[in-house]
Amino acid sequence: MSAADGMSQSGVSQAGRRPGVAGWLMLAPMLVWLAAFVVVPMAILAIYSFCERDELGRVVFSFSTDSYVRVFSPVYLGIFARSIGYAALTTAICIVLGFPVAWVIARASEAWRARLLLLVMIPFWTSFLIRTYAWLTILKSDGLLSALLQHIRIVGAPLELLYTPTAVVIGLVYAYLPFMILPIYASAEKLDVALVEAAHDLGCGPLRTFREVIVPLTKPGIYAGVLLVFVPAIGMFAITDLMGGARVPMIGNVIQNQFFQARDWPFGAALGVVFTLMFVVSYWILQRRSAAA
Amino acid sequence: MKIIRLLTAVSFLGFVSGTRAAELNLFAWSEYVPQTVIDGFTKETKIKVNYETFASGEEMLAKMLAGGASYDLVQPPDYIAEVLIRNKLLTPIDAKKLPNLKNVAPEFLGMPHDPEQKFTVPFMIGTVGIVVNTDVVKEPIRGYKDVFQPKFKNRIVVVNDNRELVSWVLVTLGLDQNDITPANLAKVKPVLAEWIKLVKVFDSDSPKTALLSGEVDLGVVWSGEAARLYEEDKKFAYILPEEGAHPFVDVMAIPANAENVDAAHKFLDYILRPEVSKLISDEFPYTNPNLEARKLLSEEQLENPASYPKIENYDTFRDIGKAATLIDQLVTDLKSAQ
Repeated sequence: MSAADGMSQSGVSQAGRRPGVAGWLMLAPMLVWLAAFVVVPMAILAIYSFCERDELGRVVFSFSTDSYVRVFSPVYLGIFARSIGYAALTTAICIVLGFPVAWVIARASEAWRARLLLLVMIPFWTSFLIRTYAWLTILKSDGLLSALLQHIRIVGAPLELLYTPTAVVIGLVYAYLPFMILPIYASAEKLDVALVEAAHDLGCGPLRTFREVIVPLTKPGIYAGVLLVFVPAIGMFAITDLMGGARVPMIGNVIQNQFFQARDWPFGAALGVVFTLMFVVSYWILQRRSAAA
Repeated sequence: MKIIRLLTAVSFLGFVSGTRAAELNLFAWSEYVPQTVIDGFTKETKIKVNYETFASGEEMLAKMLAGGASYDLVQPPDYIAEVLIRNKLLTPIDAKKLPNLKNVAPEFLGMPHDPEQKFTVPFMIGTVGIVVNTDVVKEPIRGYKDVFQPKFKNRIVVVNDNRELVSWVLVTLGLDQNDITPANLAKVKPVLAEWIKLVKVFDSDSPKTALLSGEVDLGVVWSGEAARLYEEDKKFAYILPEEGAHPFVDVMAIPANAENVDAAHKFLDYILRPEVSKLISDEFPYTNPNLEARKLLSEEQLENPASYPKIENYDTFRDIGKAATLIDQLVTDLKSAQ
């Protein structure tokens, strides 16, 4: 009986109310999933990070903090800082490019909205790696972009774009732009146009309307987009390898190297733990700010 | 009911024993064992081959040690084979089951990684050398010091392999490529710092791509990649660095926990047949250690300087154990510092 009550009232939030058996049963798959794929791997990572490696690269269970000492040496802190810089730049560009797109889609007629959203999602039908290789063909010095710009005489010589930091940022923005557009779209679609009109009627200029009405009302979408773009962009390693020519290591590349080339799992695990803590902290800050807003 | 149960049990047994007798789990480099060879083997022996791939010797070692999967045949590079032998992770090979082993050139048997020739069979041999686009670079390139010059800044591709990078500097300085000590790495550091600044692309998977597209004009790459470039266009010359080239031997070996040791031997002997070994050379033009197979190759294949370079001394990499961490630290540091 109590289970049925719990179900029927699940929509109403009541402080101190415990979920019944049925509630737990329905939660069970999610809890098992969380335990198996989040809690247990994180625990393994945390344990490994305090271990040592043997000559073969196997993990030896003897307590050591060497890996953490290494993580906090200037080289790796510098790499962390650089990765955050690239991710921040990517996120900023994604907001600037993604907001207008999301806004236009949200304001379009229903039929067009569906079509435009489909266009945003179509790239996901193709493997991410194949799309990255396509960018190599576009950006290389005898590639499409260079030929086009030379043809219309914007540049004189072949463009040296591939294997530069610019190419890395292009790749990152391309990869993560949909993750910015979609949440902002979700917020913008719910926004009541009457509020924007009211702002205009009350004498707000377009800029002020944008700043004081539109942005605050789409903030949840922007925050969600920032989280979805910034966090994975820090750890990305395939784009820096393929489009950046693996010249400048990002934190994702360094971690990947520990598990293969260097065979130093404890150090890789320590980097992973610090990296995850960074996520948690940035998430926490964003949550607090969005709650405050 | 009983009959159904019995039938189920019997068919299940048949299934188990059937798969056991007719399967081979092969763990090898990507782009190294042609599908035609695998299909030919299955057709002849009815043994199904599960071909799983890796992209570096370290990756192979990591997956072997992690357990979970059991492989019947692995394809480690020389220095990884050495580690596996030392840690008793391989099954000895029964030479009596490999009549075709006699086709292998003696210089590739009993090498330092397997001095008693008990655990490995050489698959292909390669070198790491210099590729020059002679249409663009007109001056003679003889060794590493000619490649890594400031005027070639941003015109160089190298394999993205930290140990390779360090070994090139070591031989340039006249040091032993396997002597990885903090003192030697301190000597390597200033030279490598300058070299890394000149490189435009680090790519182990397909360094030929950047050379083919004209993105770069010089490369230090695997000889198989260089051989394919030469097949594509004769302007890509292959040069063994005068400071000392690094040759590598990729071998086949049977892990200690292999379940289908018999099938593994059959496969080994199959690929040692001259006509089968030739098929491998056709697709992946490394140095074939199989002398009988070489007789079947065309003149053009044998004259490809990247496939069959004139090399006297096969001085391969040895296992360096924990020093791999020192190398990783050094190269990460230098790449970040630019």
